[in-house]
Amino acid sequence: MAGVTKGVSEQAILFGPRQSLVGILARPVAPAQSASSAVLILNTGIVHRVGHHRMYVAISRALAGLGHTVLRFDFSGIGDSDSRNDNLSPLQSCLADIKDAMDWLEANRHVTRVILVGLCSGADHAVLYGHTDPRICGLVLMDPSIPATVRFYFQYMKPRLTHLRNWMTVLTGRSRLVGSLIDEIRHAARTKQSSEELTLQNLRFHPCLEQSYQNAVARSIKLLAIFTGESTRQTYREQILDAFPNVSFGEHLRLEFFPGSDHTFFRQADRDTLTRLLLEWVASISDNCVEPAPPQTI
Amino acid sequence: MTPFYFGTSDRRIFGIYEPAAPGTAGKRAAVLCYPWGSEYLHAHRAMRQLAIKLSVAGYHTLRFDLFGTGDSGGDMTDASLAGWQNDVHMALEELREIVGAASATLIGLRLGAAIAANVLAQRPDDIDALVMWDPIVRGEHYLADLGVASEAQACPPRNGCDTPQTIEVQGFPLTQDLLREIRSIDLRSFTTEPPARTLIVVTDPSPSHAGLAAPSAMASSAGVPASSPYAQLNTAPPTIEFMNAACPWIEDIASTGVVPITVINRIASWLA
Repeated sequence: MAGVTKGVSEQAILFGPRQSLVGILARPVAPAQSASSAVLILNTGIVHRVGHHRMYVAISRALAGLGHTVLRFDFSGIGDSDSRNDNLSPLQSCLADIKDAMDWLEANRHVTRVILVGLCSGADHAVLYGHTDPRICGLVLMDPSIPATVRFYFQYMKPRLTHLRNWMTVLTGRSRLVGSLIDEIRHAARTKQSSEELTLQNLRFHPCLEQSYQNAVARSIKLLAIFTGESTRQTYREQILDAFPNVSFGEHLRLEFFPGSDHTFFRQADRDTLTRLLLEWVASISDNCVEPAPPQTI
Repeated sequence: MTPFYFGTSDRRIFGIYEPAAPGTAGKRAAVLCYPWGSEYLHAHRAMRQLAIKLSVAGYHTLRFDLFGTGDSGGDMTDASLAGWQNDVHMALEELREIVGAASATLIGLRLGAAIAANVLAQRPDDIDALVMWDPIVRGEHYLADLGVASEAQACPPRNGCDTPQTIEVQGFPLTQDLLREIRSIDLRSFTTEPPARTLIVVTDPSPSHAGLAAPSAMASSAGVPASSPYAQLNTAPPTIEFMNAACPWIEDIASTGVVPITVINRIASWLA
Protein backbone atom coordinates (compact mmCIF):
# COMPACT_ATOMS: atom_id res chain seq x y z
CA MET A 1 0.00 0.00 0.00
CA ALA A 2 3.03 2.31 0.17
CA GLY A 3 4.71 4.58 -2.34
CA VAL A 4 8.08 6.35 -2.15
CA THR A 5 8.75 9.78 -3.62
CA LYS A 6 11.98 11.74 -3.11
CA GLY A 7 12.89 10.22 0.25
CA VAL A 8 9.31 10.27 1.52
CA SER A 9 7.24 7.15 1.97
CA GLU A 10 3.49 7.48 1.61
CA GLN A 11 1.11 4.81 2.80
CA ALA A 12 -2.64 4.63 2.30
CA ILE A 13 -4.44 3.68 5.49
CA LEU A 14 -7.95 2.85 6.64
CA PHE A 15 -8.80 3.51 10.26
CA GLY A 16 -11.60 4.30 12.69
CA PRO A 17 -14.01 1.89 14.38
CA ARG A 18 -15.41 0.75 11.03
CA GLN A 19 -12.19 1.18 9.05
CA SER A 20 -14.10 3.82 7.14
CA LEU A 21 -11.69 6.74 7.36
CA VAL A 22 -9.15 7.12 4.54
CA GLY A 23 -5.78 8.74 5.10
CA ILE A 24 -2.28 9.02 3.71
CA LEU A 25 0.58 8.63 6.13
CA ALA A 26 3.74 10.39 4.95
CA ARG A 27 7.02 9.48 6.63
CA PRO A 28 10.70 9.94 5.93
CA VAL A 29 12.34 6.88 4.43
CA ALA A 30 15.09 7.39 6.99
CA PRO A 31 14.08 7.09 10.66
CA ALA A 32 11.74 9.89 11.73
CA GLN A 33 13.31 12.90 13.44
CA SER A 34 10.98 12.60 16.39
CA ALA A 35 9.22 9.28 16.26
CA SER A 36 6.87 10.20 19.08
CA SER A 37 5.36 13.29 17.45
CA ALA A 38 3.35 13.80 14.29
CA VAL A 39 1.47 16.39 12.27
CA LEU A 40 -2.23 15.80 11.53
CA ILE A 41 -3.77 17.74 8.64
CA LEU A 42 -7.55 18.32 8.61
CA ASN A 43 -9.94 18.87 5.71
CA THR A 44 -10.94 22.34 4.56
CA GLY A 45 -14.72 22.33 4.07
CA ILE A 46 -15.68 19.57 1.65
CA VAL A 47 -12.36 19.58 -0.18
CA HIS A 48 -10.72 16.19 0.24
CA ARG A 49 -7.41 15.59 1.96
CA VAL A 50 -5.11 16.81 -0.84
CA GLY A 51 -6.29 20.36 -0.11
CA HIS A 52 -6.72 23.36 -2.38
CA HIS A 53 -4.19 23.36 -5.18
CA ARG A 54 -2.76 20.16 -3.64
CA MET A 55 -1.28 22.24 -0.83
CA TYR A 56 -1.60 19.54 1.82
CA VAL A 57 0.29 17.03 -0.31
CA ALA A 58 3.14 19.50 -0.72
CA ILE A 59 3.13 20.37 2.99
CA SER A 60 3.00 16.69 4.00
CA ARG A 61 5.94 15.79 1.80
CA ALA A 62 7.98 18.80 2.85
CA LEU A 63 7.47 18.00 6.53
CA ALA A 64 8.15 14.29 6.00
CA GLY A 65 11.25 15.21 4.02
CA LEU A 66 12.55 16.93 7.15
CA GLY A 67 11.91 13.88 9.28
CA HIS A 68 8.33 14.34 10.50
CA THR A 69 5.46 11.88 10.44
CA VAL A 70 2.39 13.43 8.78
CA LEU A 71 -1.14 12.11 8.40
CA ARG A 72 -3.67 13.78 6.11
CA PHE A 73 -7.10 12.20 6.09
CA ASP A 74 -10.74 12.72 5.17
CA PHE A 75 -13.45 13.33 7.74
CA SER A 76 -16.45 11.03 7.61
CA GLY A 77 -18.56 11.80 4.56
CA ILE A 78 -15.80 13.91 2.96
CA GLY A 79 -13.50 12.74 0.16
CA ASP A 80 -13.07 8.99 0.26
CA SER A 81 -14.24 8.37 3.82
CA ASP A 82 -17.66 6.85 4.43
CA SER A 83 -20.24 8.63 6.55
CA ARG A 84 -20.58 7.68 10.20
CA ASN A 85 -23.59 5.72 11.38
CA ASP A 86 -23.83 7.05 14.93
CA ASN A 87 -26.05 10.12 14.37
CA LEU A 88 -23.44 12.59 15.59
CA SER A 89 -23.87 16.19 14.46
CA PRO A 90 -21.49 17.28 11.66
CA LEU A 91 -19.27 19.11 14.15
CA GLN A 92 -19.17 16.31 16.70
CA SER A 93 -18.56 13.81 13.89
CA CYS A 94 -15.42 15.70 12.81
CA LEU A 95 -14.14 15.96 16.37
CA ALA A 96 -14.68 12.22 16.86
CA ASP A 97 -12.79 11.56 13.63
CA ILE A 98 -9.82 13.60 14.86
CA LYS A 99 -9.73 11.45 18.00
CA ASP A 100 -9.83 8.31 15.84
CA ALA A 101 -6.85 9.62 13.85
CA MET A 102 -4.97 10.46 17.05
CA ASP A 103 -5.68 7.01 18.45
CA TRP A 104 -4.49 5.37 15.23
CA LEU A 105 -1.23 7.33 15.33
CA GLU A 106 -0.66 6.36 18.94
CA ALA A 107 -1.54 2.69 18.49
CA ASN A 108 0.30 2.15 15.22
CA ARG A 109 3.13 4.70 15.21
CA HIS A 110 3.58 5.23 18.98
CA VAL A 111 2.87 8.92 18.53
CA THR A 112 2.11 10.73 21.78
CA ARG A 113 2.37 14.38 20.70
CA VAL A 114 0.54 15.87 17.73
CA ILE A 115 0.32 19.19 15.89
CA LEU A 116 -3.02 19.86 14.21
CA VAL A 117 -3.10 21.83 10.95
CA GLY A 118 -6.29 23.30 9.52
CA LEU A 119 -7.56 25.99 7.18
CA CYS A 120 -10.96 27.65 7.62
CA SER A 121 -13.32 24.97 9.01
CA GLY A 122 -10.24 22.80 9.53
CA ALA A 123 -8.79 25.49 11.78
CA ASP A 124 -12.08 25.68 13.68
CA HIS A 125 -12.07 21.91 14.19
CA ALA A 126 -8.44 22.11 15.33
CA VAL A 127 -9.04 24.79 17.96
CA LEU A 128 -12.20 23.13 19.26
CA TYR A 129 -10.48 19.74 19.53
CA GLY A 130 -6.99 20.88 20.48
CA HIS A 131 -7.62 21.85 24.09
CA THR A 132 -9.55 18.65 24.85
CA ASP A 133 -6.73 16.20 24.15
CA PRO A 134 -3.50 16.31 26.15
CA ARG A 135 -1.63 14.78 23.22
CA ILE A 136 -1.96 18.01 21.24
CA CYS A 137 1.16 20.19 21.47
CA GLY A 138 0.60 22.68 18.64
CA LEU A 139 -2.09 24.15 16.42
CA VAL A 140 -1.64 25.71 12.99
CA LEU A 141 -4.75 27.78 12.39
CA MET A 142 -5.18 29.28 8.93
CA ASP A 143 -8.05 31.76 8.73
CA PRO A 144 -9.88 30.41 11.75
CA SER A 145 -13.24 31.87 12.76
CA ILE A 146 -12.78 34.94 14.91
CA PRO A 147 -15.33 37.57 15.86
CA ALA A 148 -15.44 40.84 13.97
CA THR A 149 -14.13 43.80 15.93
CA VAL A 150 -14.73 47.55 15.70
CA ARG A 151 -11.41 47.91 13.90
CA PHE A 152 -12.41 45.13 11.50
CA TYR A 153 -15.46 47.11 10.40
CA PHE A 154 -13.48 50.33 10.23
CA GLN A 155 -10.77 48.73 8.08
CA TYR A 156 -13.42 47.12 5.94
CA MET A 157 -15.32 50.35 5.47
CA LYS A 158 -12.38 52.72 5.01
CA PRO A 159 -11.65 52.09 1.34
CA ARG A 160 -15.36 52.11 0.60
CA LEU A 161 -16.23 55.42 2.25
CA THR A 162 -14.91 57.51 -0.62
CA HIS A 163 -17.29 55.96 -3.14
CA LEU A 164 -20.57 57.79 -3.55
CA ARG A 165 -22.20 54.60 -4.80
CA ASN A 166 -21.58 52.90 -1.45
CA TRP A 167 -23.24 55.76 0.40
CA MET A 168 -26.20 55.52 -1.92
CA THR A 169 -26.63 51.81 -1.19
CA VAL A 170 -26.56 52.56 2.56
CA LEU A 171 -29.07 55.39 2.24
CA THR A 172 -31.39 53.30 0.11
CA GLY A 173 -31.15 50.33 2.47
CA ARG A 174 -29.43 48.10 -0.09
CA SER A 175 -26.04 47.89 1.62
CA ARG A 176 -24.91 44.30 2.08
CA LEU A 177 -22.46 45.38 4.76
CA VAL A 178 -25.14 47.06 6.85
CA GLY A 179 -27.39 44.05 6.31
CA SER A 180 -24.70 41.63 7.40
CA LEU A 181 -23.83 43.83 10.37
CA ILE A 182 -27.43 43.73 11.58
CA ASP A 183 -27.50 39.96 11.03
CA GLU A 184 -24.30 39.58 13.02
CA ILE A 185 -25.63 41.60 15.94
CA ARG A 186 -28.82 39.52 15.99
CA HIS A 187 -26.92 36.27 15.63
CA ALA A 188 -24.45 37.20 18.34
CA ALA A 189 -27.18 38.22 20.76
CA ARG A 190 -29.08 34.99 20.17
CA THR A 191 -25.99 32.82 20.56
CA LYS A 192 -24.79 34.53 23.73
CA GLN A 193 -28.16 34.63 25.44
CA SER A 194 -29.10 31.03 24.89
CA SER A 195 -27.52 27.66 25.20
CA GLU A 196 -27.69 27.30 21.43
CA GLU A 197 -25.99 24.19 20.13
CA LEU A 198 -22.47 24.88 18.93
CA THR A 199 -22.01 24.69 15.16
CA LEU A 200 -19.37 26.04 12.82
CA GLN A 201 -21.92 28.61 11.69
CA ASN A 202 -22.38 30.19 15.13
CA LEU A 203 -18.86 29.49 16.38
CA ARG A 204 -17.68 33.10 15.97
CA PHE A 205 -20.32 34.29 18.44
CA HIS A 206 -20.18 31.38 20.85
CA PRO A 207 -18.47 31.80 24.23
CA CYS A 208 -17.04 28.35 23.68
CA LEU A 209 -14.56 29.72 21.14
CA GLU A 210 -12.79 32.09 23.52
CA GLN A 211 -12.84 29.36 26.16
CA SER A 212 -11.15 26.97 23.72
CA TYR A 213 -8.30 29.43 23.17
CA GLN A 214 -8.00 30.02 26.91
CA ASN A 215 -7.80 26.29 27.58
CA ALA A 216 -5.26 25.79 24.81
CA VAL A 217 -3.00 28.47 26.26
CA ALA A 218 -3.47 27.02 29.75
CA ARG A 219 -2.28 23.71 28.39
CA SER A 220 0.83 25.38 26.92
CA ILE A 221 -0.25 24.46 23.39
CA LYS A 222 1.72 26.51 20.85
CA LEU A 223 -0.38 28.38 18.30
CA LEU A 224 0.53 29.54 14.83
CA ALA A 225 -2.32 31.71 13.54
CA ILE A 226 -2.12 32.67 9.88
CA PHE A 227 -4.51 35.14 8.32
CA THR A 228 -4.94 35.97 4.66
CA GLY A 229 -5.65 39.51 3.53
CA GLU A 230 -8.19 38.69 0.88
CA SER A 231 -10.40 36.69 3.21
CA THR A 232 -13.57 38.44 4.35
CA ARG A 233 -13.10 37.11 7.87
CA GLN A 234 -10.47 39.56 9.03
CA THR A 235 -8.89 42.76 7.88
CA TYR A 236 -5.81 43.05 10.05
CA ARG A 237 -3.14 40.94 11.65
CA GLU A 238 -3.98 41.51 15.32
CA GLN A 239 -7.72 40.95 15.02
CA ILE A 240 -7.48 37.73 17.01
CA LEU A 241 -5.90 39.61 19.92
CA ASP A 242 -8.63 42.26 19.93
CA ALA A 243 -11.37 39.68 19.54
CA PHE A 244 -10.24 37.67 22.55
CA PRO A 245 -9.02 40.25 25.11
CA ASN A 246 -9.41 37.76 27.95
CA VAL A 247 -6.96 35.26 26.50
CA SER A 248 -3.35 35.73 27.59
CA PHE A 249 -1.78 34.46 24.39
CA GLY A 250 1.68 35.75 25.32
CA GLU A 251 4.50 33.77 23.78
CA HIS A 252 2.17 30.87 23.00
CA LEU A 253 0.91 32.62 19.89
CA ARG A 254 2.76 33.46 16.71
CA LEU A 255 0.83 35.66 14.31
CA GLU A 256 1.38 35.78 10.56
CA PHE A 257 -0.47 37.77 7.94
CA PHE A 258 -0.46 37.10 4.19
CA PRO A 259 -1.85 40.44 2.93
CA GLY A 260 -1.87 39.53 -0.76
CA SER A 261 -3.07 35.96 -0.45
CA ASP A 262 -6.57 34.71 -0.97
CA HIS A 263 -8.26 32.32 1.44
CA THR A 264 -7.04 29.19 -0.43
CA PHE A 265 -3.44 30.31 -1.03
CA PHE A 266 -4.16 30.33 -4.74
CA ARG A 267 -0.70 31.48 -5.84
CA GLN A 268 2.21 29.06 -5.81
CA ALA A 269 4.45 31.75 -4.28
CA ASP A 270 2.10 32.09 -1.30
CA ARG A 271 1.95 28.31 -0.87
CA ASP A 272 5.73 28.12 -0.98
CA THR A 273 5.99 30.83 1.69
CA LEU A 274 3.35 29.04 3.75
CA THR A 275 5.21 25.73 3.51
CA ARG A 276 8.48 27.34 4.58
CA LEU A 277 6.71 29.01 7.49
CA LEU A 278 5.21 25.72 8.65
CA LEU A 279 8.53 23.89 8.40
CA GLU A 280 10.27 26.58 10.40
CA TRP A 281 7.52 26.84 13.04
CA VAL A 282 7.16 23.08 13.52
CA ALA A 283 10.92 22.88 14.05
CA SER A 284 10.79 25.80 16.49
CA ILE A 285 8.26 24.10 18.78
CA SER A 286 9.92 20.71 18.72
CA ASP A 287 10.78 21.02 22.42
CA ASN A 288 7.11 21.47 23.18
CA CYS A 289 6.33 18.28 21.29
CA VAL A 290 8.83 15.84 22.71
CA GLU A 291 7.82 16.02 26.34
CA PRO A 292 5.28 13.47 27.46
CA ALA A 293 1.70 14.63 27.39
CA PRO A 294 0.71 16.38 30.62
CA PRO A 295 -2.01 14.75 32.72
CA GLN A 296 -5.53 15.79 31.78
CA THR A 297 -6.66 18.46 34.23
CA ILE A 298 -9.14 20.57 32.29
CA MET B 1 -12.94 -0.04 -0.73
CA THR B 2 -9.17 -0.38 -0.76
CA PRO B 3 -6.91 2.68 -1.08
CA PHE B 4 -3.44 1.71 -2.30
CA TYR B 5 -0.41 2.69 -4.32
CA PHE B 6 0.55 0.92 -7.52
CA GLY B 7 2.81 1.52 -10.49
CA THR B 8 6.59 1.57 -10.62
CA SER B 9 9.10 2.68 -8.01
CA ASP B 10 9.64 6.01 -9.76
CA ARG B 11 6.01 6.48 -10.71
CA ARG B 12 3.79 5.74 -7.73
CA ILE B 13 0.09 6.06 -8.47
CA PHE B 14 -2.58 6.35 -5.80
CA GLY B 15 -5.82 4.57 -6.50
CA ILE B 16 -8.95 3.36 -4.80
CA TYR B 17 -10.31 -0.05 -5.69
CA GLU B 18 -14.01 -0.51 -5.14
CA PRO B 19 -15.11 -4.12 -5.51
CA ALA B 20 -18.40 -5.11 -7.09
CA ALA B 21 -21.11 -5.35 -4.46
CA PRO B 22 -21.61 -8.82 -2.99
CA GLY B 23 -24.22 -10.77 -4.87
CA THR B 24 -23.50 -9.13 -8.21
CA ALA B 25 -22.23 -11.51 -10.81
CA GLY B 26 -19.40 -11.35 -13.28
CA LYS B 27 -16.00 -9.78 -13.58
CA ARG B 28 -16.85 -6.49 -15.17
CA ALA B 29 -14.25 -3.83 -14.55
CA ALA B 30 -14.05 -0.07 -15.05
CA VAL B 31 -11.21 2.42 -14.71
CA LEU B 32 -12.27 5.98 -13.88
CA CYS B 33 -10.14 8.88 -15.10
CA TYR B 34 -10.42 12.16 -13.19
CA PRO B 35 -10.29 15.62 -14.71
CA TRP B 36 -7.34 17.92 -13.96
CA GLY B 37 -6.61 20.86 -11.69
CA SER B 38 -9.38 22.53 -9.77
CA GLU B 39 -11.83 20.47 -11.84
CA TYR B 40 -10.33 17.34 -10.25
CA LEU B 41 -10.81 18.78 -6.79
CA HIS B 42 -14.44 19.71 -7.33
CA ALA B 43 -15.41 16.56 -9.23
CA HIS B 44 -13.81 14.12 -6.78
CA ARG B 45 -17.06 13.68 -4.89
CA ALA B 46 -19.06 12.91 -8.04
CA MET B 47 -16.48 10.43 -9.30
CA ARG B 48 -16.57 8.59 -5.98
CA GLN B 49 -20.37 8.40 -6.17
CA LEU B 50 -20.08 7.07 -9.71
CA ALA B 51 -17.73 4.34 -8.49
CA ILE B 52 -20.14 3.40 -5.70
CA LYS B 53 -23.03 3.30 -8.16
CA LEU B 54 -21.09 1.07 -10.53
CA SER B 55 -20.13 -1.19 -7.64
CA VAL B 56 -23.81 -1.75 -6.91
CA ALA B 57 -24.31 -2.45 -10.62
CA GLY B 58 -21.71 -5.22 -10.48
CA TYR B 59 -18.57 -3.38 -11.61
CA HIS B 60 -15.18 -3.54 -9.99
CA THR B 61 -13.75 -0.04 -10.29
CA LEU B 62 -10.38 1.60 -9.91
CA ARG B 63 -10.21 5.37 -9.76
CA PHE B 64 -6.79 6.87 -9.49
CA ASP B 65 -4.85 10.12 -9.38
CA LEU B 66 -2.72 10.92 -12.39
CA PHE B 67 1.01 11.28 -11.69
CA GLY B 68 1.76 14.69 -10.20
CA THR B 69 -1.85 15.13 -9.08
CA GLY B 70 -3.84 14.24 -5.97
CA ASP B 71 -2.14 11.73 -3.70
CA SER B 72 -0.02 10.21 -6.47
CA GLY B 73 3.72 10.69 -6.55
CA GLY B 74 5.50 13.46 -8.39
CA ASP B 75 4.80 17.11 -9.01
CA MET B 76 2.95 18.84 -11.79
CA THR B 77 6.29 19.85 -13.24
CA ASP B 78 6.94 16.12 -13.84
CA ALA B 79 3.62 15.56 -15.58
CA SER B 80 3.00 14.95 -19.26
CA LEU B 81 0.00 13.87 -21.32
CA ALA B 82 1.92 10.84 -22.59
CA GLY B 83 2.84 9.94 -19.02
CA TRP B 84 -0.77 10.25 -17.93
CA GLN B 85 -1.82 7.91 -20.73
CA ASN B 86 0.72 5.41 -19.40
CA ASP B 87 -0.86 5.82 -15.97
CA VAL B 88 -4.20 4.73 -17.45
CA HIS B 89 -2.48 1.72 -19.02
CA MET B 90 -1.01 0.83 -15.61
CA ALA B 91 -4.40 1.24 -13.95
CA LEU B 92 -6.00 -1.03 -16.55
CA GLU B 93 -3.37 -3.70 -15.95
CA GLU B 94 -3.72 -3.36 -12.19
CA LEU B 95 -7.49 -3.70 -12.23
CA ARG B 96 -7.49 -6.59 -14.69
CA GLU B 97 -5.00 -8.35 -12.46
CA ILE B 98 -7.11 -7.76 -9.35
CA VAL B 99 -10.35 -8.81 -10.97
CA GLY B 100 -9.13 -11.33 -13.51
CA ALA B 101 -11.13 -9.62 -16.24
CA ALA B 102 -10.24 -9.97 -19.90
CA SER B 103 -11.20 -6.39 -20.67
CA ALA B 104 -12.29 -3.23 -18.93
CA THR B 105 -14.43 -0.15 -19.45
CA LEU B 106 -12.84 3.29 -19.46
CA ILE B 107 -14.75 6.22 -18.03
CA GLY B 108 -13.31 9.73 -18.16
CA LEU B 109 -14.50 13.18 -17.14
CA ARG B 110 -13.31 16.31 -18.95
CA LEU B 111 -9.54 16.02 -19.54
CA GLY B 112 -9.77 12.48 -18.18
CA ALA B 113 -12.11 11.64 -21.05
CA ALA B 114 -9.63 12.92 -23.63
CA ILE B 115 -6.87 10.84 -22.04
CA ALA B 116 -9.14 7.79 -22.00
CA ALA B 117 -9.96 8.27 -25.69
CA ASN B 118 -6.26 8.27 -26.55
CA VAL B 119 -5.69 5.12 -24.51
CA LEU B 120 -8.57 3.45 -26.30
CA ALA B 121 -6.94 4.28 -29.61
CA GLN B 122 -3.74 2.63 -28.37
CA ARG B 123 -5.31 -0.63 -27.15
CA PRO B 124 -8.82 -1.08 -28.55
CA ASP B 125 -8.83 -4.84 -27.96
CA ASP B 126 -8.58 -4.49 -24.19
CA ILE B 127 -11.37 -1.99 -23.73
CA ASP B 128 -14.97 -3.11 -24.01
CA ALA B 129 -16.65 0.29 -23.63
CA LEU B 130 -15.80 3.95 -23.31
CA VAL B 131 -17.76 6.62 -21.47
CA MET B 132 -16.74 10.22 -22.05
CA TRP B 133 -18.38 12.65 -19.63
CA ASP B 134 -18.21 16.21 -20.94
CA PRO B 135 -14.96 15.47 -22.74
CA ILE B 136 -12.39 18.10 -23.64
CA VAL B 137 -12.74 17.97 -27.40
CA ARG B 138 -10.24 20.64 -28.37
CA GLY B 139 -7.32 21.42 -26.14
CA GLU B 140 -7.02 24.95 -27.49
CA HIS B 141 -10.59 25.74 -26.38
CA TYR B 142 -10.00 24.10 -23.01
CA LEU B 143 -6.92 26.18 -22.31
CA ALA B 144 -8.73 29.32 -23.38
CA ASP B 145 -11.51 28.49 -20.91
CA LEU B 146 -8.85 28.11 -18.22
CA GLY B 147 -7.56 31.58 -19.06
CA VAL B 148 -4.38 30.47 -20.82
CA ALA B 149 -3.33 32.72 -23.66
CA SER B 150 -2.88 31.05 -27.02
CA GLU B 151 0.61 30.36 -28.23
CA ALA B 152 0.42 33.33 -30.57
CA GLN B 153 -0.89 35.64 -27.83
CA ALA B 154 1.71 34.54 -25.29
CA CYS B 155 4.55 34.89 -27.73
CA PRO B 156 3.65 36.72 -30.91
CA PRO B 157 5.63 35.59 -33.99
CA ARG B 158 8.78 37.63 -34.77
CA ASN B 159 8.99 38.91 -31.19
CA GLY B 160 11.28 36.09 -30.15
CA CYS B 161 10.13 36.27 -26.55
CA ASP B 162 11.27 33.99 -23.77
CA THR B 163 8.27 32.16 -22.41
CA PRO B 164 8.60 30.90 -18.84
CA GLN B 165 9.14 27.17 -18.49
CA THR B 166 6.17 26.92 -16.16
CA ILE B 167 3.03 29.01 -15.86
CA GLU B 168 0.33 28.94 -13.22
CA VAL B 169 -3.13 27.90 -14.33
CA GLN B 170 -5.87 28.22 -11.73
CA GLY B 171 -3.29 27.84 -8.99
CA PHE B 172 -1.53 24.84 -10.53
CA PRO B 173 1.83 24.87 -12.30
CA LEU B 174 1.81 23.79 -15.94
CA THR B 175 4.96 23.26 -17.98
CA GLN B 176 5.23 24.51 -21.54
CA ASP B 177 5.64 20.92 -22.72
CA LEU B 178 2.39 19.86 -21.08
CA LEU B 179 0.68 22.97 -22.40
CA ARG B 180 1.73 22.00 -25.91
CA GLU B 181 0.44 18.47 -25.41
CA ILE B 182 -2.92 19.66 -24.09
CA ARG B 183 -3.18 22.23 -26.88
CA SER B 184 -2.78 19.44 -29.40
CA ILE B 185 -5.81 17.53 -28.15
CA ASP B 186 -8.37 17.33 -30.90
CA LEU B 187 -10.97 14.61 -30.52
CA ARG B 188 -12.59 15.60 -33.78
CA SER B 189 -9.99 13.35 -35.32
CA PHE B 190 -11.07 10.55 -33.04
CA THR B 191 -11.69 8.17 -35.92
CA THR B 192 -10.02 5.10 -34.53
CA GLU B 193 -12.49 2.29 -34.54
CA PRO B 194 -14.35 2.77 -31.30
CA PRO B 195 -15.29 -0.15 -29.15
CA ALA B 196 -18.72 -1.61 -29.72
CA ARG B 197 -20.22 0.70 -27.18
CA THR B 198 -19.20 4.31 -26.64
CA LEU B 199 -21.24 6.88 -24.74
CA ILE B 200 -20.58 10.59 -24.72
CA VAL B 201 -22.52 12.50 -22.08
CA VAL B 202 -22.63 16.26 -22.47
CA THR B 203 -24.07 18.49 -19.76
CA ASP B 204 -22.13 21.62 -20.64
CA PRO B 205 -22.36 21.78 -24.44
CA SER B 206 -19.82 23.61 -26.50
CA PRO B 207 -19.73 23.95 -30.28
CA SER B 208 -16.84 21.53 -30.49
CA HIS B 209 -18.86 18.69 -29.00
CA ALA B 210 -20.85 18.49 -32.20
CA GLY B 211 -17.65 17.78 -34.11
CA LEU B 212 -16.98 14.58 -32.21
CA ALA B 213 -19.12 12.38 -34.41
CA ALA B 214 -21.16 12.58 -37.55
CA PRO B 215 -24.20 14.82 -37.02
CA SER B 216 -26.51 11.91 -37.65
CA ALA B 217 -24.97 10.05 -34.75
CA MET B 218 -26.80 12.38 -32.42
CA ALA B 219 -30.10 11.00 -33.63
CA SER B 220 -30.11 7.44 -32.46
CA SER B 221 -32.44 6.22 -35.19
CA ALA B 222 -30.48 7.73 -38.04
CA GLY B 223 -28.09 5.71 -40.12
CA VAL B 224 -24.43 6.47 -40.64
CA PRO B 225 -23.93 8.61 -43.71
CA ALA B 226 -21.37 7.53 -46.31
CA SER B 227 -19.30 10.60 -45.50
CA SER B 228 -18.89 9.60 -41.85
CA PRO B 229 -15.59 8.03 -40.81
CA TYR B 230 -17.65 5.33 -39.13
CA ALA B 231 -19.10 4.28 -42.47
CA GLN B 232 -15.87 2.45 -43.28
CA LEU B 233 -15.79 0.82 -39.87
CA ASN B 234 -17.61 -2.20 -38.62
CA THR B 235 -19.00 -0.37 -35.65
CA ALA B 236 -21.59 2.13 -34.52
CA PRO B 237 -20.68 5.76 -33.96
CA PRO B 238 -20.56 6.99 -30.40
CA THR B 239 -23.87 7.74 -28.79
CA ILE B 240 -24.02 11.37 -27.73
CA GLU B 241 -26.51 12.36 -25.09
CA PHE B 242 -27.10 15.89 -23.94
CA MET B 243 -28.36 16.07 -20.38
CA ASN B 244 -29.51 18.89 -18.19
CA ALA B 245 -27.47 18.44 -15.00
CA ALA B 246 -25.06 20.24 -12.71
CA CYS B 247 -21.40 20.34 -13.71
CA PRO B 248 -19.55 18.78 -10.77
CA TRP B 249 -16.17 20.13 -11.88
CA ILE B 250 -17.28 23.74 -11.47
CA GLU B 251 -17.33 25.33 -8.04
CA ASP B 252 -19.90 27.98 -7.39
CA ILE B 253 -22.14 28.84 -4.46
CA ALA B 254 -25.15 27.15 -6.02
CA SER B 255 -23.55 23.86 -7.00
CA THR B 256 -20.60 23.20 -4.69
CA GLY B 257 -20.68 19.59 -3.61
CA VAL B 258 -23.67 18.77 -5.80
CA VAL B 259 -23.52 15.31 -7.35
CA PRO B 260 -25.34 15.04 -10.71
CA ILE B 261 -27.08 11.82 -9.89
CA THR B 262 -29.03 11.76 -13.17
CA VAL B 263 -25.78 11.55 -15.11
CA ILE B 264 -24.37 8.90 -12.79
CA ASN B 265 -27.54 6.84 -13.09
CA ARG B 266 -27.50 7.20 -16.88
CA ILE B 267 -23.90 6.02 -17.14
CA ALA B 268 -24.67 3.02 -14.91
CA SER B 269 -27.81 2.10 -16.80
CA TRP B 270 -26.11 2.50 -20.18
CA LEU B 271 -23.28 0.22 -19.11
CA ALA B 272 -25.75 -2.32 -17.76
